[in-house]
Amino acid sequence: MDAKRAEFEAEALVHLDLLFALALRFTGGDEAASEDLVQDTMLKAYRAWDSFESGTNCRAWLTTILRNTFINNLRRRQKRPASVAYEEVAERSVFAELTESAAEGGFFNRIIDEEVIRAIEELPADFRVPLVMADLQDMGYQEISELLDIPVGTVKSRLFRARRRLQRRLYAYAVEMGYVE
Amino acid sequence: MTDNGSSRGGKPDRDRDAESRELSCEEAAKRVFEFLDGELPPVDAEKVRHHVEVCRRCYPYFNFERFFLDYVRERGLKPRRSRDLEERLRRLLEEAEEP
Repeated sequence: MDAKRAEFEAEALVHLDLLFALALRFTGGDEAASEDLVQDTMLKAYRAWDSFESGTNCRAWLTTILRNTFINNLRRRQKRPASVAYEEVAERSVFAELTESAAEGGFFNRIIDEEVIRAIEELPADFRVPLVMADLQDMGYQEISELLDIPVGTVKSRLFRARRRLQRRLYAYAVEMGYVE
Repeated sequence: MTDNGSSRGGKPDRDRDAESRELSCEEAAKRVFEFLDGELPPVDAEKVRHHVEVCRRCYPYFNFERFFLDYVRERGLKPRRSRDLEERLRRLLEEAEEP
């Protein structure tokens, strides 16, 4: 094995599981598409490995490549974004429905990881993608707006609705499981 | 203990302080995510902060939303192993290796 590949495997390949999780969130849980996305990301990173400054944040570099690759694929697929009508769902915070003892939100902690992940992945793509960027990649509204080519006001409202939907779904699950009265 | 009647529709519960009257509960709540995301201009953020600090209805509400956002951040990205991706990649990298 040559030195470049050994170095790449040691520094980049260790982030594979995290990249796969991120790809799943972006694609809405599509395993085959996520594997392809991670594969494309890794091969791009490998080709550009000489430009990567050793010692800087490799994980951040890889997640950026993955995100940009995902966005580019998305753009290629939908040349003109269709306007989709979304089913109306209650968009009030569940907070108003909580008893005093549940008001701190501790009941969310009893929900298993798989359910949280499923709830994110099943959000409609228009809501899910800004949420993944803001909440799992720590990006600001302006940056998301530029990447997705939508106005900042749209980022704001989609993020708002995405979080509300996610919260409501997890709350409904917690109620169903008897975690909250 | 809580005078719900006076807080519905707008004014914070304890709005003795003139500054807190600048923002109603509704106005503060509308900005909750922008505030928690650090996306409000400093002047507006200060107004929200001030309102929340003195409003006994908004204080627990903002805490709840903050808890929820932290929760999503913490739980939403648990690494996940793909069955054969690593093997596939090692093979591809080997093929891509410069001669």
